[in-house]
Amino acid sequence: MPRDIELLRNTLNEKFQRERAQLLPALHLVQHQFGYLPDWAMEAVGRHLRIPASEVYGAATSYSELRTEKPGAHTLKVCTGLGCLLNGGRELLSAVESALGTPPGRTTADGRITFEETPCGFLCGMAPAIKIDDTWRGRVTPDSVETIIVEAGRP
Amino acid sequence: MTGSVVATAFETLERSARERVQALRGRKIRITVQVGHCSRSVGTTQVADALAASLPDTAYLAIAGCDGACFDAPQVLVTGLSGRSRRYARVTPESAGRIVDELSGNAPSGEDSDSSFFSGQRRITLDGCGRLAATDIDEYLVHGGYAGLARALRMTPEEVIDEVKASGLRGRGGAYFPASAKWESARATGRTPRYLVVNAEEGEPGIFKDRHLMEGITHRVLEGMVVAAYASGAEKAFLYINVEPDLSSQRMREAIDQANRHGILGSDILGSGFGLEVEIRRGAGGYICGEETTLLNTIEGYRREPRLRPPFPTESGLWARPTVINNPETLAAVAYIMANGAEEFARIGTANDKGTKIVSISGSVRRPGIVEVSMGTTLRHIVADLGQGPLPGHDLIALAVGGPSSGVLPPSMLDTPIRGGLLHESGVMLGAGGVIVLDDRIGIPEVIRKLAAYNAAESCGKCTPCREGTPRMVEALDRLSTDQAPDADLDDLRYLVQIVGPASLCGLGQAAGNPITSALHFFGDEFFVQAGVL
Repeated sequence: MPRDIELLRNTLNEKFQRERAQLLPALHLVQHQFGYLPDWAMEAVGRHLRIPASEVYGAATSYSELRTEKPGAHTLKVCTGLGCLLNGGRELLSAVESALGTPPGRTTADGRITFEETPCGFLCGMAPAIKIDDTWRGRVTPDSVETIIVEAGRP
Repeated sequence: MTGSVVATAFETLERSARERVQALRGRKIRITVQVGHCSRSVGTTQVADALAASLPDTAYLAIAGCDGACFDAPQVLVTGLSGRSRRYARVTPESAGRIVDELSGNAPSGEDSDSSFFSGQRRITLDGCGRLAATDIDEYLVHGGYAGLARALRMTPEEVIDEVKASGLRGRGGAYFPASAKWESARATGRTPRYLVVNAEEGEPGIFKDRHLMEGITHRVLEGMVVAAYASGAEKAFLYINVEPDLSSQRMREAIDQANRHGILGSDILGSGFGLEVEIRRGAGGYICGEETTLLNTIEGYRREPRLRPPFPTESGLWARPTVINNPETLAAVAYIMANGAEEFARIGTANDKGTKIVSISGSVRRPGIVEVSMGTTLRHIVADLGQGPLPGHDLIALAVGGPSSGVLPPSMLDTPIRGGLLHESGVMLGAGGVIVLDDRIGIPEVIRKLAAYNAAESCGKCTPCREGTPRMVEALDRLSTDQAPDADLDDLRYLVQIVGPASLCGLGQAAGNPITSALHFFGDEFFVQAGVL
């Protein structure tokens, strides 16, 4: 981790001016790099931008797409917006739940997949939709769930 | 003087664009693949790859955004030398090979497979979207693009404001505030620097229209931005894009780079002396980020919370400077108005609502997607004719219009014409233009609970009425389905709605009761049916 801090400090120095307006871009970078926002990284961002760590944490936790807890190796989101619910999203959600043996909002016991619901993925024309890491898949059927999960990296 | 400099600069730009486009097209067949945020989820990238790999010398490939016919994605258009196009729907990497085989040097036969989807629309902001290469500035110029900007720069900012005022354009983000009034009041402060912020947060469940513009007709959004910045005297613009659609951000970045190289952005736009720098910022999730003062806090690096208004952003916005906030669809309409004149725009729509509106259709429809229709078009035309809903074998129970800050309309309201502002006094609004068609597979109570729970989850917590009131609404709805005293709970619900709205700081809390109010108005009994009380 000391090496991570060193690397992050260098990146921050290189990419971001020391001004508050860079907070969100800097947090995006950290999350992209680590998959979430580790405490030490938020502190480093605060130090670089001259913002108290408490305020960095306060801001970070107010955004729904920023994570302050380490997720599983992969994330799997099922859209449960109204358009998706009506077009098979409900069935999709329960198919994923039974395939993973985990309810939404949890990570599988082996730590491989974090399973979440999302209120809208904004692909309402492709309902029902599911997101594996950074990739959305549309018009998904419950019977393709197994394959999708295997592809997501579960043995 | 400046006028003739701009005219000459623009003519030069147009001429070289025409030459380049003609050289590229030569005598070749054009294959256009529509690649967008949504269509990538059904394999359009693979289709584009397959076509690129097997492309004959007689054809060339163009990557466009999607045209809104989501139901047909992945889509490929083949345009022959005659200029006629044929549309291929639901193309797979395998069937892409057959498209190539069919070409064999001939012009394609047949017409667009399902043109009633398009002929029932009035496309002005979406014009060219899905046909023009998404980020090719030359194609946009040949299509007539940036002519509006060139015209605007030959006018004074005040004349531009007057022109847009005369068009009657009101903001397409959902509030329908006159676009020109924001420019005018920012300018009237006399203070500099001023900023333009493009609100492309589009975080409202059920809408996906700004994304189509930013992925399919990037330069029109940019053109509107430069006009808006010129009119309001802004020297720097922030394009604030939702966290989800990376493709919008990538393509707008490409368009910005091109515009910089072509002198359409930068320190001296088309020789006019006016300069504009554009920076892209990404959101980090949350419906409330689309609330304009929250968006400003987000850019400045604070919690996602709204600010007290007044002062309004046009007086005191980003870093307390005058700031104009516009929606991408509004800006695309601005580009149309400057190119075609206020009168042309004002001819579209109704006496009170000018122009067109992009509507996102989803739910129980055979043709989900985005459509652009004249203001005043009925919901029936949008839902039944264009969307072909509800799905066969199901009954329409309601339309969820305008997202979680609006409400639901029963089938009896299908002949309501769309307009800015309220569609019904119970709080149903067109908003940003989302229409979700609900059929008998879902109950009104579930829909309303979902919308209420969404508002509660998205409440930022800054003001007490919304923070405490929105979860209480969900609890009261839950009690209704189990409790033996529905009358008391209904009273509770009505009371909550009555106080949370007026007492809340921003639009989220102010409108959080709308789904409940509209459902009680139209479907009062259904809550009881669900509870098994009646």
